Amino acid sequence: MKNTVKVFSSPFCVYCSVLKQFLTEHNIGFEEFDVSQDAKARDEMIEKSKQMAIPVVEINGEIIIGFDKNKIVELLGMKE
Amino acid sequence: MIYDLIIIGGGPAGITAGIYAMRQRLNALLITKNFGGQINKKAVAIGNYPGFDKISGAELIKKFKNHLKKTGIKIEKSKVNKVEKDGDVFLIFIEGGQSFKSKAVIIASGSDPRPLEVAGEKEFLGKGVSYCPLCDGPLFKNKNVAIIGSGNSAFETAIFLSNIVNKIYILECGPQVKTFIDNQEIIKKTNKAKVIVNAALKEIQGDNFVKSIIYQDKETAKEKILKVDGVFVEIGYLPATYFVKDLVDFSERDEILTDPNNSQTRTLGLFAAGDVNVGKYKQIITACAEGATAALSAFEYLKKQK
Repeated sequence: MKNTVKVFSSPFCVYCSVLKQFLTEHNIGFEEFDVSQDAKARDEMIEKSKQMAIPVVEINGEIIIGFDKNKIVELLGMKE
Repeated sequence: MIYDLIIIGGGPAGITAGIYAMRQRLNALLITKNFGGQINKKAVAIGNYPGFDKISGAELIKKFKNHLKKTGIKIEKSKVNKVEKDGDVFLIFIEGGQSFKSKAVIIASGSDPRPLEVAGEKEFLGKGVSYCPLCDGPLFKNKNVAIIGSGNSAFETAIFLSNIVNKIYILECGPQVKTFIDNQEIIKKTNKAKVIVNAALKEIQGDNFVKSIIYQDKETAKEKILKVDGVFVEIGYLPATYFVKDLVDFSERDEILTDPNNSQTRTLGLFAAGDVNVGKYKQIITACAEGATAALSAFEYLKKQK
């Protein structure tokens, strides 16, 4: 099954960069939303995560708050 | 194997210590989870590091890191859990139980944001309460926010947020603000910030998200309410020292006591540099200077040991 991965981030957030680098290194494709510019994505993220904090990752509809590597690995069924 | 020197931390102090150690041909290991330390959270460009009239935190870290890597120093990307001393040898335990040995150690682990310890702070963390304006700031577009604290980090946060939010309240519990004068001038020009002194924060309130804060006006002893959607905590830092409690002494602010001449702690061969120690000014350049002092002092110490 192909995974749908969305990353809500901003250009200045260090953990967002670490998260994106992690996904890239493991060849995980993702759609990126810059919440500092994209108001629609910002509202969607706050609504779904109930959080005013980034990064937020959505994997197949499930929300992960922050860079939670173990949870990402689990949801994507990755081998580390 | 026993290393000559192990450096704990990858911020300006640790990186500079690493560069100096390698120039002295020490067999050194640097242990850190991330590089850059607090520069990562720098909300505005850096303008007081010689050679760069204006440079972003991320760019400066990249330059620091590249310089360090060119020295060939060994790097372990991990978190230190405990430091012990057995005779003349230090044992450094990292996450997962692995350990390393060395003859000297430099602690350059920096510090973490100091929490407010008021009602609602933990409950609303990530729901309006933030310790990272650079990360979370953009989510508060056109909203009203409070910044707690009035030092340089607080004002730099205000400068960064002034391009995003509608209105900023800066709350200082003492009678006057603590930041450098240039920051005060910049904030005045934005026309977005109101500074409130003698304001002791009492509570953060809301439903799903932060809606307001209550503070006491210390002059009148009356409690006042401010309607805000965000609270940025900038009241200073707590030194990261949990792994070394038994080997050093602390100041009343939990900083490691060191001799300013050589960065030596009370344990021989154990040095502390940067924000983690008692040094008064917490600047990038003072952290670098202390990293250099600690590495050269460690070199002297090792020479005498032989």
